[in-house]
Amino acid sequence: MNVPEVVAYARKLEHVVLADEGRWSCSVDYLSRLQDLIQEHAVNRVVIASCTPRTHEPLFKKTVKQAGLNPYLLEFVSIREQVSWVHMKEPGAATQKAKDLVRMGVAKAVLLEEGREIRLPVKQDCLIIGGGPAGLSAALSVAQQGFRAIVLEKGERLGGMLNRLARIRHDGHEAPAARLRDSLVDRVLETPGIRVLTGAEVETLEGYIGNYTVGLKEKDGAVGQRLHVSTLVVATGMQEMPPVGAFRYGEDPRVLTQLELERRLAAREAGEFFPDTGGESAASLPRLEETVKNVVFVQCVGSKNDKRGCCAIGCHVAVKNALALKALNPEIQIHILYRDLSMVKGEGAMLEAAKRLGIRFSRFPDENYPEVLEKPDGTLVVETTDLLIGERLELPADLLVLAVAFQGDATVEHLKGLLKVSASPDRFFQESHVKLAPLEFPADGIALAGCAKAPMMLKESLEAGTGAAMRVSIPMKRGYIEAEGIVADIDLSDCNQCGLCHKRCPYSAISVDSDKNPRVIKALCKGCGLCAADCPKECITIVHFTDDQVLAQVDAALLESPEKKIIGFVCHWCALGGVDMAGVSRLQYPVHARLVRVMCSARVSMKMMLRPFEKGAAGVLVAGCEFPTCHYISGNYAAESRIRRMKKKLARAGYDPDRLVGIWCSAADGPKFAKTMREMVKQFHLDQGDA
Amino acid sequence: MSDAILIIGAGIAGINCALNAAKYGAKVYLVDDTASIGGMMARLDKTFPTNDCSICIEAPQMYEVDNQENIEILTGTQIKKVKAQNGVFQVRLVKKPKYVDEAKCTGCGACVEACPVSVPDEMDGKIGGKRKLIHMAFPQALPNVVAVDPACRSGEMRSAGACIGGCAVDCSQCRECPIALCVSACEKEGKKAIILWQSARKINLEVKSIVVATGIAEAPPAGDLLGYDVYDNVITGMQFERLMNAGGPTAGEIVRPSDGRHAKRIAWVQCAGRGLAQGKGVPYCSKICCMIATKQVIITKEHDASVETTVFYNDLKAYGKNFWAFYQKAKENGVRYVRGRPYQVEEDAETKNLTLRYENLDTGRIETREVELLVLSTGIVPSPGNPKLARVLKIELDPFGYFKEKDPLKAPLETSVPGIYLCGGATGPIDIAESVVQACAAGMKAVLRSEAP
Repeated sequence: MNVPEVVAYARKLEHVVLADEGRWSCSVDYLSRLQDLIQEHAVNRVVIASCTPRTHEPLFKKTVKQAGLNPYLLEFVSIREQVSWVHMKEPGAATQKAKDLVRMGVAKAVLLEEGREIRLPVKQDCLIIGGGPAGLSAALSVAQQGFRAIVLEKGERLGGMLNRLARIRHDGHEAPAARLRDSLVDRVLETPGIRVLTGAEVETLEGYIGNYTVGLKEKDGAVGQRLHVSTLVVATGMQEMPPVGAFRYGEDPRVLTQLELERRLAAREAGEFFPDTGGESAASLPRLEETVKNVVFVQCVGSKNDKRGCCAIGCHVAVKNALALKALNPEIQIHILYRDLSMVKGEGAMLEAAKRLGIRFSRFPDENYPEVLEKPDGTLVVETTDLLIGERLELPADLLVLAVAFQGDATVEHLKGLLKVSASPDRFFQESHVKLAPLEFPADGIALAGCAKAPMMLKESLEAGTGAAMRVSIPMKRGYIEAEGIVADIDLSDCNQCGLCHKRCPYSAISVDSDKNPRVIKALCKGCGLCAADCPKECITIVHFTDDQVLAQVDAALLESPEKKIIGFVCHWCALGGVDMAGVSRLQYPVHARLVRVMCSARVSMKMMLRPFEKGAAGVLVAGCEFPTCHYISGNYAAESRIRRMKKKLARAGYDPDRLVGIWCSAADGPKFAKTMREMVKQFHLDQGDA
Repeated sequence: MSDAILIIGAGIAGINCALNAAKYGAKVYLVDDTASIGGMMARLDKTFPTNDCSICIEAPQMYEVDNQENIEILTGTQIKKVKAQNGVFQVRLVKKPKYVDEAKCTGCGACVEACPVSVPDEMDGKIGGKRKLIHMAFPQALPNVVAVDPACRSGEMRSAGACIGGCAVDCSQCRECPIALCVSACEKEGKKAIILWQSARKINLEVKSIVVATGIAEAPPAGDLLGYDVYDNVITGMQFERLMNAGGPTAGEIVRPSDGRHAKRIAWVQCAGRGLAQGKGVPYCSKICCMIATKQVIITKEHDASVETTVFYNDLKAYGKNFWAFYQKAKENGVRYVRGRPYQVEEDAETKNLTLRYENLDTGRIETREVELLVLSTGIVPSPGNPKLARVLKIELDPFGYFKEKDPLKAPLETSVPGIYLCGGATGPIDIAESVVQACAAGMKAVLRSEAP
């Protein structure tokens, strides 16, 4: 494109006092020139027309700030990725497009207002719900910084699952669970700053990061104390799902779950009592190794079906416990019936040891589980098909041990409502982002650790506990959380208290008072704009992406030959990434689009979709993140449903609904964006004649 | 005394560890021996079990690292010597030359266009990926600067048509280059960012703690493994990942290396090479490959539902939350999962199709299947630099070459040297979410040590 022509054009625009051309505007030399120019000409708005805001906006914001101007008074126009790289064969049309983009940028810049980061104070106290390994390791890390940690355990003793296990193994390391529990609990009790509350659970919870009030309930139902904390770690653990009615479990005392076997092994080791067998001591119970000759393990009981997946730890546990039984008495015959044996990396050595000791493994068909029968003589027999040898086996069992599925703690049902988070039907909490935010919830200041998320090994629980401590420690260490100035702002004068904004905010950043008036907790707001676009009374605005600013860009774009233009609203994170990728890859596509950046496709209101049509545009594109990704959890889903509704509205208003197009585009998918552009241009017959 | 943290490896684990520690307030040096941060994840198309686009979720974190004032990024940098003294580590690093002034290069690409020589890309070579002798690691690379292939400068590429190297005078002796096309293209843009005479730079740091986040690699297939070196249309899982990536060498078209036609029948072989003799295959289950293949078949079906896909496997590893449902989804989309490991592959000389011979473990019968493209899931191995790094750091490796934890049951992620921690693929085969969990935990441990008196 002809850059001097664009500069000369910019110079003539209303409000523009200076237009300058820099060859490499992100170079250190030019950035310092930019600061000088800002000061010399006392400008109060800056438009940068260069590469892409996704990579370079922070740099220019910083520069503008150093020049003494509020950084929110900067507008970024992308003329490299959106013009020079993608319209290489049409310099005339490209130059015209660049002029339009600059005009749009100036139109928005004129309306920009000063913004500021918003801080919310956070004190140094954390409530950890759950006193198992994950919770305790989180408490240790929190307290070691000198912060206050309160561990809330609903049972009577700390240690969680470690109280119920025999031995723990990992990659050649092995230790009794009781010893690991004692060492962990002792460290917790010795660490100053940790307060332990047992026999109580959370009854009420109000507030947000920096400001939680938690009401406890004692075991007898009495109202407990009230706690004031800044952050929370949820580490409520898991439990087995008893397979009642299957495999004669609950009918025959010889049928146990792995956890029940493990408790016996643990008690055997420690000489402890069994409270659930009438207070017998382990010593008085029949010794496992003397009464038991044949043991059968059945894996995947209640797992890997329509309801739930792999239990994640059952194979390891089975091989571990088989080895433990063999250690008690090498004569015990053990047969493990499985579907898929999943033993990773170092676990392979355990598996080989088991095979060496004569422990046998048989694969049964996915849809044909083993059957348990009691013979007339009272012996228990397991019948199964061994897939590998293709034969039916009949295995006697003095002990039948089931690797059953797991579920989250019973308190999850109550807690998830209080925390406004979701959990699976099996009561496992849903983390904020499956990959990049595995230890937290969408709302700031609440971390998730251990088996409350999904079944995991001790090592992983300890890691998750420490990692969760990191997530809540960052705001506690800083003393505040900070939101970028792009936040929602509610004008209550037109509000009809419908509560939609409060209900739909993905971050619980909008609270309602007793009069149902909504209030934005600005430090929690991420600025997606979902609430603003949905508000039926249009009383919410998003700083830096106000209706007026966005519509000014649309109007500026359509000032000349609107019938040749497509207005595209693109989300900053993925769709603009796709646009940039098309640029970097030099994919050539028609010049008709004029793109308006929004932070999330959910920001694009029906009013914004309608305006281009009113101004005579050829079409409208709304581009958001590819499903299921969304930088704001689910904004793209909201946008998609809004587009569907808008199409009906367009039809009623006499516009062609097919001229409103939604695409969901990954940041790598330049080809998809370029193809959409070509298709739209063809569909709207814009390829006849010049743009 | 310094309370800084050194993080070795800037993949998704190193990046997350750095972001956590820096936001906490620590000074962080984030070091990677490649030209860009991003690691394995920057190469992937999608991520299981949600099929999020990989670079879409990683790039914002990369930019965040770049914009964090207390993170210093050192790419192309290796750890040479580490000395523990009075509770701190004295670290000597060497930054290999990119032959580019990173402060001046703006990533405009003029030099890349000017470069006359294309060579097969290291990772994408077999599927037709090419790069110039001066190139950017990938479009979103950070720092967003180019690097000159050292082979070009040394003259090895002259026969391939390279414009420089092999002069009477060594590049390191000159202070300008009248013949290099990249240099003149850069000058024409007004920059002078290419410095062919650049030398390695020594860096000395004092840090309080070190986090090792060196990551994982795809196991290279032994040459004769199921015809890999012999037949064009046998590729690895990672190569397939690049093939389906819109940012890859074929712009996301799943085409065959032999003729560039869209592959209509594709098979994946899981555990390819596993358990073979030393050096021929991975001796353990790498945990993540079943879900990688499942992701790839689902995406393949999304590209073109008519493609026939078969996955040969032994034990399905659907170990994580919602992984089983992910596998069910693949089956609902018509993917065939066959229990059995192909032991023989033959190519039809004319069609370049491949015939697999395998025992179907569910039926016990020997069967054959003809496919147009064969993908080998060869498993995961440790980063090849681990043995050297272990020596420098004086920490141990486990028998498979991953770093060893001192006591995984009491103090996971800690090594035998106090102050050196592990996260991500440095500990073993691992997925993204698990890497991020460990990165947060290792970051916590590192800042706790740095806080301690």
